[in-house]
Amino acid sequence: MSTVAARVAGATKVYGEGEAAVTALDDLTVEFEQGRFTAIMGPSGSGKSTLLHCIAGLDTLTEGSAFIGEVNLGELNEKDLTLLRREKVGFIFQAYNLIPTLNAAENITLPIDIAGDVPDQEWFDTVVDTIGITDRLSHRPAELSGGQQQRVAAARALVSRPAIVFADEPSGNLDSKSGAELLGFMRHAVDEFGQTIVMVTHDPIGAAYADRIVFLGDGRLVGELLDPTADQVFEHLKSMGD
Amino acid sequence: MLKIALRSVLLHKLRLTLTGVAIILGVAFVSGTFVFTDSIKASFDDLFSDVNSQVDFYVRGTSEFGSSAAILEESVVEAIRSIEGLDAVVPSVDGIAQLIDKEGEPIGGAGPPTLGFSYLPEGEGLTPLEVRQGDSWPTGAGQIVVDTFAADANDLAVGDVIDVITPIGVEPFEIVGIATFGEADNLLGATLAVFEFEEAQRVFDMEGMVSSISLTVGDGVDRALLQPLIADQLPDQVEIVTAEEQTDDDLAEVDEGVGFINTILLVIAGVAVFVGAFIIQNTFRIIVAQRTKELAMLRAVGATGRQVTFMVGIEALVVAIVASAIGIGVGVLLAIGIKGVFTAFGFGFPGGPLTIKARTIVVGLTVGVVVTLISALLPARKASKIPPIAALRDVATSTKDLSRRLVAGLVVTALGVVLLAVGLLLNVDNAISYVGFGALLTFVGVSILAPLFARAFARTAGKPLPRFGGIVGRLAQENAMRKPRRTAATASSLMIGVALVSVIAVFSASAKAGVAEVFEDDFKTDFQVVLDGFSDPRFTGLSPALTDELRQVDELSVVTRVRIGEYRTTDGEMAEKFLIGVDGGIDQVINLDIVEGLFGDFTDGTALLLEEEADRLGLGAGDSMTIEVPSGVTVELEIAGVFAGDALGVPLVIPLETYKEHITFRLDRWIFALKADDVTEAEARAAVDVVAESYPNARVTNTEELISDIEEQIDSLLNLLIVLLGFAIVIALLGIVNTLVLSVSERKREIGLLRAVGTTRKQVKRMIRWESVLIAVFGGVLGLVVGTVLGVATVAAVGQGLKIAIPIGQLITYLVVAAIGGVIAAIPPSRTGAKTNVLEAIAYE
Repeated sequence: MSTVAARVAGATKVYGEGEAAVTALDDLTVEFEQGRFTAIMGPSGSGKSTLLHCIAGLDTLTEGSAFIGEVNLGELNEKDLTLLRREKVGFIFQAYNLIPTLNAAENITLPIDIAGDVPDQEWFDTVVDTIGITDRLSHRPAELSGGQQQRVAAARALVSRPAIVFADEPSGNLDSKSGAELLGFMRHAVDEFGQTIVMVTHDPIGAAYADRIVFLGDGRLVGELLDPTADQVFEHLKSMGD
Repeated sequence: MLKIALRSVLLHKLRLTLTGVAIILGVAFVSGTFVFTDSIKASFDDLFSDVNSQVDFYVRGTSEFGSSAAILEESVVEAIRSIEGLDAVVPSVDGIAQLIDKEGEPIGGAGPPTLGFSYLPEGEGLTPLEVRQGDSWPTGAGQIVVDTFAADANDLAVGDVIDVITPIGVEPFEIVGIATFGEADNLLGATLAVFEFEEAQRVFDMEGMVSSISLTVGDGVDRALLQPLIADQLPDQVEIVTAEEQTDDDLAEVDEGVGFINTILLVIAGVAVFVGAFIIQNTFRIIVAQRTKELAMLRAVGATGRQVTFMVGIEALVVAIVASAIGIGVGVLLAIGIKGVFTAFGFGFPGGPLTIKARTIVVGLTVGVVVTLISALLPARKASKIPPIAALRDVATSTKDLSRRLVAGLVVTALGVVLLAVGLLLNVDNAISYVGFGALLTFVGVSILAPLFARAFARTAGKPLPRFGGIVGRLAQENAMRKPRRTAATASSLMIGVALVSVIAVFSASAKAGVAEVFEDDFKTDFQVVLDGFSDPRFTGLSPALTDELRQVDELSVVTRVRIGEYRTTDGEMAEKFLIGVDGGIDQVINLDIVEGLFGDFTDGTALLLEEEADRLGLGAGDSMTIEVPSGVTVELEIAGVFAGDALGVPLVIPLETYKEHITFRLDRWIFALKADDVTEAEARAAVDVVAESYPNARVTNTEELISDIEEQIDSLLNLLIVLLGFAIVIALLGIVNTLVLSVSERKREIGLLRAVGTTRKQVKRMIRWESVLIAVFGGVLGLVVGTVLGVATVAAVGQGLKIAIPIGQLITYLVVAAIGGVIAAIPPSRTGAKTNVLEAIAYE
């Protein structure tokens, strides 16, 4: 029985008011287990990004609660949320992941430096080595390919040993080869380092790297797949479409 | 295109507001200056027209220049009275009379004149003076009428007895009335004292003489026929003018005083506009850079480069017109403010509405629009060169050819330096314009060069940042370095203000050092008696009675008086200069350093000439020279000697007898004294103090005290100028705000990412603050370097009486102030930065 790294309970998120109100999350309850790679899928507007933002402490719920570990995000003020993100959470966004003025190594240690801590050199080397960017560390983002940039972002997300890593379409901007490399690396991090990862994606092949897929539709949980293959994902999406 | 431009203006309100502020401030200063000075002139115009409306003619001593008109013999009055057709012939006597308040402190005198007039019953209604309290005019000895302003400010009432300093000494007078000058309660801070006619002649040391005569013509008499008849009766150096001419002359005098204020304010306005131009240019450049994609898209769908330029230009034009209009409005408020400040400092002027001339509006709008358009021109041209392909690619800002920038910067700087050199070193007309334009070009040149060392500066000066600011400091340093042109342009606007302040600081430090050196080396006196505080030598002075009294003091062996006058050279230049008249052994109290001729030959009708002036005129001892005195008379002087000493600070020294013969000013400027051999310095000082005590406007010093007095005066002048130039620095700080707000909005994603990965708002603020401080310190350093170089060059060029000194402590203070300014300027952008919405910033478009 694995413990829960993050969860939402009765999560509702409404944007706008009155007639213009849009319900992005509708009384959603879902858990993400520790040490596993979970993918969130669903059509556009199904609330998958909203869920990611709310559970990562970037956005707040209208109703219900979100937890990272035992911490109820709704009880934290802005500053504590920031500190929580710094210490417990890693991010990989679809694009604009890196600070252009810092080189790759500095970007990787950014959350640790912001906290004023000293990076664990051994762990840093392990991550950088695994990710295969050892020779690009002194380059600035502009001198890296898109795939390399995303791998630097992944390294940054891992190097502070966060409780959970959130990835929002991390391979969305990459060609299939680079995308596969990045996802393979994320899979590796889960298997070898026991990292918890939650990833939003609309790519069935990408989702197949996960241990578990949760499907959202209109802000609700509409399905789930364990140890999926790409074909199963295709099938499932097809059935959802029917 | 026009529609797109207008939309764009509305869309980008924030950044355009900030640009607008720079224009508004510049235009406000220009128009405020005009409104202020026009209002003063208009109120004096009304006042003098009113004042002179009852009189037909004035008979007066001639006055070609300066402020010391010829004096009339009283016999002229009788001669005129014998002419038929005149109703009233009223002589008046004017002089300088300084009131002393009940605490024994002199009233006024620090700048504005302390005027004295005479009263005759038959002049009632002809003079501008009107008694407001106490219904009596002075009718005999010991009586006085003072003006409302002086009375109100010093709690004087009818019946009070006050001391008054006049050329004949200090005497008590009873106040019998309080008067106004026409409708005005206050004439730019001047004080008035009115004496009975004969009493006025006595106290002004003008017995048997008058200053002017007011005439009214009888009914039915042809004024045009009468004027030449009267003119025929007048001796040399006496003239007749109509009331209108007198009004014009009075106004010209006001104009001269106001013109000085006008010039100073306009120079500051010019600096404000110049600094504003930098900010406007920088803002438009950033806007164009940020809109590269949008503009390239327009190009891609077929807009020509010219159309893109036009679009940016229209945007600038709209902002310029709106901001200039607001600027004129703010200028009016500023004028009210300046008026308030002047009144608060005792330089009030006659009431009256604010005068807003069409010229003010035209100049304000023109300045605002032209400066904005010129500033936006370069960015607009750059916009037109954006290739359509830029719409598809991420912006690859082309790094411009550095060597081209280097050459351009050096050429412009060199041109500026050459103009400065011409203005400072060569004896050209309009030297000030050369210097001003040279300084302007130097600033532009340095600002062109600045991006070349912006990166190096941020790298060096920002070095400690990462060490104690961690990654946040490092980011700030990197941000300051990433757009060197932007950093440099923003810093350059601050450079101007700091440079000007530094020039003044270097100049005043050098002046102080020079004064100290000259006085220490060349003053042989034990004591000096000077006017207390800062004062205009043409309008005030020490009563000659003080010198006379000091000559009775046994503890002193030598007492020398120095009087200041104006003269004009009679060579082609006709330059107005100061001379001094002396008596009683000037060579014993001051080291004149006679290099040619003999002091012994310095007698009535001769002169001592400064070596430089002698060289310029090609004259030497034994030659004769001709000068023109204020009454218009030319005087021939034999040069007794040529002196090289700097201590007197004037080119020409004449004996007091000669002075009195040609110049009508009656007050002493300085008294130099040597103690007698058989007394101690303390004894002599005590004796001098006893005498001087009854003359409250006199200050007794020894050389050391005199030096520190003058240093204090220089400092207070310096502080005043710094306060005025502070405006330029405030505008430049607005420029930093502007740049950083734009940069922050440009880096929204980056800041959002930083926030997402755990950067606190405080840290974001700190990052922006450090960047701001780096920019400010860069501007400060540039300003200090340019300012110190310009300052030293100016001091070296002026030379006389100055000794190059660089006030390092003061300059460092300016740098610290600039850095603090950077912290303050960072407040708005750091707030914007801290508020960055993480979700919006990381959203993928």
